Amino acid sequence: MASSDKKPGPTPAIGPGSTLPGKPTTLGSKLIETGAMMLQSMAPVRQMNLHACTFALYGHDLSRQIETHHFIHRINQDFLQCAVYDSDKPSARLIGVEYIVSDNIFETLPSEEQKLWHSHAYEIKTGLWTLPGMPELLQDPEHKSLTKTYGKFWCTWQVDRGDRLPLGAPSLMMSSQAVDIARVNPELVKERDRKYGVSRGDAKESRVEMAEPEWINPNADYWKQHGKGFAIDVPVEMKSSGALI
Amino acid sequence: MYLLSAFPFFQILDETRTLTILNQLEIENEKERQRESNLINKMATSHVDVPGEPTETGTALLETATGTIQGFQPVNNIHQHLCAFHFYAHDMTRQVEAHHFCGHLNEDVRQCLIYDSPDKDARLIGIEYIVVESLFLTLPDDEKPLWHSHEFEVKGGYLFMPGVPGMGERQDLKQVCKTYGKVIHFWQVDRGDPLPLGIPQIMMALTRPGQLDENIAKDVEKRFGVSFEEQREQRKDLTGPDHGIHPLANAAGRGLKTELREVDIPPATSMPRVFV
Repeated sequence: MASSDKKPGPTPAIGPGSTLPGKPTTLGSKLIETGAMMLQSMAPVRQMNLHACTFALYGHDLSRQIETHHFIHRINQDFLQCAVYDSDKPSARLIGVEYIVSDNIFETLPSEEQKLWHSHAYEIKTGLWTLPGMPELLQDPEHKSLTKTYGKFWCTWQVDRGDRLPLGAPSLMMSSQAVDIARVNPELVKERDRKYGVSRGDAKESRVEMAEPEWINPNADYWKQHGKGFAIDVPVEMKSSGALI
Repeated sequence: MYLLSAFPFFQILDETRTLTILNQLEIENEKERQRESNLINKMATSHVDVPGEPTETGTALLETATGTIQGFQPVNNIHQHLCAFHFYAHDMTRQVEAHHFCGHLNEDVRQCLIYDSPDKDARLIGIEYIVVESLFLTLPDDEKPLWHSHEFEVKGGYLFMPGVPGMGERQDLKQVCKTYGKVIHFWQVDRGDPLPLGIPQIMMALTRPGQLDENIAKDVEKRFGVSFEEQREQRKDLTGPDHGIHPLANAAGRGLKTELREVDIPPATSMPRVFV
């Protein structure tokens, strides 16, 4: 069975350094791509105009934490869709998708659905979430509206576990919260801050006046009050001989 | 169109010069991306189907700025639009038109964002990863069923690159024909969900004649001015994986359904534990 919280069996697709297997892109492929680019409209992907860097925690194991790069397309004032990568380089691996909704929209969701979502207030107010390349002052208006939002983030490639290829079932991710087990490892934050020339501490200070949501729906960040996270299974039936039925 | 006619020219140019030209084109592409992104944000954007208020002017303006100032390298690596059909791995009758926007991580691995249309208000509904046969074979046996082969949909004409005429398409489809893909959808637009509800769905691709709903097929053919039958004729000589389609691929010929399970998380403490 493929499960988001179980490590995949031994395979060359996992290994130290988690380098991507395969040959470098050939000139031929690059030419094909360039040709395509000239002739095709890439309208949907051109809508992403916001880049955020933050941290996410695995919903079934909050001690596993990753730096994420969200490339965000705002559909309307209440809804955003994000392509999530593990870095902001051209070599970045696409590791998942996150959807962000306003509190208004969130309240319309059934409670079973709400359990799959996480709140953003803490990570924004404490400076974990930042918009690389933008002066803090300019980031302000965006953060004001995002503080009250909720996110649903599915991770499809567990790169921090050494997976060289996207293995297993998708994993539900959670956000950092003001409790011990959900604080982001300071080393991770330090490294991020160093790379992007930002300071989480400074960001936190300048956002201290920012209005917090009056109330965060207790169904979100489900683990906090219920001690339960979620995993996804994809049952793949195997005979005892190892062959699929 | 000029680039296609310039193909023979590129073969004569040495690698360095070609790469320089490619870089130039990349820069042009980035400028184009910014231009388009700015244009879009000056208009009121509100997706007809997704609930919510129209984007406020202040927000739109800010995002125009971020679109110009920030870096978007991972997204700029997306160079190709492919249209194909997916069905739910547990229900072949539910079929979705899937617009893939793909980029190479290297020669052997691609990653794609999947949208429900090629338009600017398209909903991001899923992800696909595409690997060459040799990499597929390295996957664990309980992973292989989550992947599907591309041979049938490429040879059948159902997978195509909108806007790219036969010759340009062919080069790439020859390669894609031999690859395997892993598709996960997060938004079940086909059942009318206004928002991405529920858990991720593993999707499969066409593997046999008669699977694709005729109405969906005709609709796509009409909107994109393609004929799957014509394409089939032209693609007769393409070949699938060298070792044949692996028996474990395509959900091992059975269905696959994702399930949600609760997992114990250690109790949350906002105070350090005190040992009494």
